[in-house]
Amino acid sequence: MLRLSCSTFTERWPLFIGAALTVSLGVALVQSSLLVLISAATLDVPAGLSAADTVRFTEGAAVAVTVSALTLGFSAFLAVFIVGSTFAFTVALRRRDLALLRLAGGGRGQLHRLLLGEAVLLGVVGTAAGVPAGIATMSFQSWLLSTLGFVPDGFTAQWRIWILGVSVGVGLGVALAGVLVAARRAAEVRPLEALRDSGDAARVMTVGRWVIGVLFTAGAIALIILAPLGGAAGSMAMAVNVALCGSVALSALSPLLVPGVARLLPTGNGAVLGELARANMRDGVRRSAATAAPLIVLVALVLGQSGALTSFAAAGEAEQRRGTAADLVVEATGPVGPRVAAVAGVAGASTEIEVPVAITRSSGEDIEGETGLALVVDPAEYARAHPGAGSLDGLRGRSVAGGPGGEGGSPGDTLGVRVGGTDLGPLPVVAAVPAGIGGGAEVLLPPGLAPAAEVVAGMSRTFVALEPGADAGAVAAALAGIGTVHSVEDWIARDSAARDSTSTSVFLVVMGLGGIYALIGVINAVVIGAASRRPEFAAVRATGLTRGQVVRMALVESWGVTAVGLMLGVVATAGTLAAVLGTTSAVTGHTTLALPWPLVLSVVAGAFLVTGLTSLLTSWSATRPNPVALLGARE
Amino acid sequence: MTSTMTAPLPRALQAAVALRGVSRTYGSGTAAVRAVDHVDVDFRRGTWTAVMGPSGSGKSTLLHCGAGLERVDSGQVLLGGTDITFASDADLTALRRDRIGFVFQSFNLIGSLTAEQNVALPLRLAGRRPAKAEVRAVLAAVGLGDRARHRPRELSGGQQQRVAIARAMVTRPEVLFADEPTGALDSNAARTVLDLLRAMVDAGQTIVMVTHDPAAAARADAAVFLRDGRIVDRLVRPTARTVADPLVALQG
Repeated sequence: MLRLSCSTFTERWPLFIGAALTVSLGVALVQSSLLVLISAATLDVPAGLSAADTVRFTEGAAVAVTVSALTLGFSAFLAVFIVGSTFAFTVALRRRDLALLRLAGGGRGQLHRLLLGEAVLLGVVGTAAGVPAGIATMSFQSWLLSTLGFVPDGFTAQWRIWILGVSVGVGLGVALAGVLVAARRAAEVRPLEALRDSGDAARVMTVGRWVIGVLFTAGAIALIILAPLGGAAGSMAMAVNVALCGSVALSALSPLLVPGVARLLPTGNGAVLGELARANMRDGVRRSAATAAPLIVLVALVLGQSGALTSFAAAGEAEQRRGTAADLVVEATGPVGPRVAAVAGVAGASTEIEVPVAITRSSGEDIEGETGLALVVDPAEYARAHPGAGSLDGLRGRSVAGGPGGEGGSPGDTLGVRVGGTDLGPLPVVAAVPAGIGGGAEVLLPPGLAPAAEVVAGMSRTFVALEPGADAGAVAAALAGIGTVHSVEDWIARDSAARDSTSTSVFLVVMGLGGIYALIGVINAVVIGAASRRPEFAAVRATGLTRGQVVRMALVESWGVTAVGLMLGVVATAGTLAAVLGTTSAVTGHTTLALPWPLVLSVVAGAFLVTGLTSLLTSWSATRPNPVALLGARE
Repeated sequence: MTSTMTAPLPRALQAAVALRGVSRTYGSGTAAVRAVDHVDVDFRRGTWTAVMGPSGSGKSTLLHCGAGLERVDSGQVLLGGTDITFASDADLTALRRDRIGFVFQSFNLIGSLTAEQNVALPLRLAGRRPAKAEVRAVLAAVGLGDRARHRPRELSGGQQQRVAIARAMVTRPEVLFADEPTGALDSNAARTVLDLLRAMVDAGQTIVMVTHDPAAAARADAAVFLRDGRIVDRLVRPTARTVADPLVALQG
């Protein structure tokens, strides 16, 4: 049987190369993301950092860990999904071969073993190629993380020998998982199917597809409903996962949807090529669905993730705008409040000084720790400068208030608070400002509680409200001696630009390589699909189509499938956006949606470009032989 | 023109394949098509029977039912003494390995395997490791001893069909089922294939062949004619002429 696998391999190499490629890239991506994650998680704080720098370092490392974990999750998902869809497609294309084996006396078990054997072979080949590719990927990912500032310069992910075991497991695992369902179906092939292409062979919509489709649709809907309840942090993850669930569901259901959507596509005033392409799309449901599937996932993940990120950033900016009642912002170091207030024309000044904080909270047996930033504030001024923050009147003496970061507890809790090197002991939470979608300080401290050394060295911003009729320019000039002065609009714009660039960075790290992987999955499906169509192309050429017309027909068809994939991907994305609307409304009270249009347009254009080019190249090469030669050599 | 087979037969000539009241319907409701309708037929050992009829008369379905490739809706299918009507998939697989061989119009060789690998395939699927000489001998018997290492696409249609026959015969099946074996061949290649089949029958092989080529049927020992799923005529020792007449009548 293995010899049969090997000779099939030499015969149908585009199929197998494609499948092995998806395995190897999946292995590379998972291996690299895992190593980067572990290296980021075990990053040691460099000796000799000040308390504030230590907090900044650990915060940065925590973001790096989160981002790497996300990357790992996406990589693993994509590996399973893309390898699975590729394998299912390759097995489906070989149905006739398999039925022939049955006709020659092959048993179901033998077919099953043959396909599993091939999967193991492909898993081994893919892993062998994937491990070195993973090392290259790892240095790229580390470079990306440090270039984008998530980890300190010189960060290198450490190679660990046990990762070999993981990679082999991933390679074999995804290959076997990918072929398991397909092999079971293929083993059910009836020998008669070798003689005609009908019956079960033509039935693409299987029970498994139904189950997955319905299950993941339900999951997506559940996530849309639950996302607004997840709080500022949890809802973000849920919103992005809506697109993930939605794309799996739509991919599974795509054999149902592709022909229907294909009917909607314009054929171009009765042009015969357009009609032929549309008929092919409907007839080659398996192929259309296999091409559309990775595209749906690609579009849903890229647009869903980026749409959620930009929307949350926009919501954060809008929230900040609503939550700030001031005219100028002075950035300085330490408590400059009295000096600012003394300037003529200043009606109020809320100085907020950042100090590093470590919070411990005991709930029952568990002790949770959290490091972050605390703001030392003047409660009355803070409440005035931030409408909606509520009253902070109780915040004085030995007490704290929960900050916009949302992890500082609610009134009635008791927190262990440590600022810099000083333990402030257990403190009651007496108030809490609403958690913001944009995050922020974990707790607010009253003046005089934090150690003076930390407060003097802390970065501060002072929100300045002017007296009616005061000349903003003159006041700003007078304040210039204290720190850097911005108008509030400028300051918010700068702040949100910084957030935007962070979310762009996160997006790049998480989706960059995954997106390329999914794109390769798309190309793969187009190549595999075209490679098996030589006889069909030969037949239409024998009917009178020129080579150019065949290539154009394939292109139209390919673009049709691309359009369908994009549409379904957008539907899955819409799920995420619905969750975003619900979440922003629940957290900030205002629904916010911001789409990264340049990215959307480049995804659409890029998809058409890539599938179009691939289709041109593959159909051109598939039509190279003289059609008569192909028609004669029926196997 | 109808001549029924009334001569008493020795027991040694009992049926290799027998269909008893076999029916097979495709589709349901108003779209239902009864492809085979209460057919009773015996294919005797060591004889070559041509199954004829116009397109859509149920010839291929009859062949598939007899070979256990297709389930019957009612009736009984006997292979030798064995009732295979309700045989399990595993049993049918075993049958295809040991007792039944197939040849089709479209050759159905596996393109990635050489001629000798194709021929060895049924034995290897049955878990045997055939000796090279054994496989070569079967190929030589169909006149292709020198083409063992060629792939199907490097062979002519007639050669491919002979490889297919070699593959079918390598297990020494009780019955060889052939569905339009000369349908895709030119007359010279067809003649070679028919000569080969004739020689096999003369050596004791049972063959059931679907065809609508009178020249092919003329080489058989008997012919049965189908229309609308029913056997409407039978001939023994057909000639091209005696076959052509009822065929023309059936087409009308």
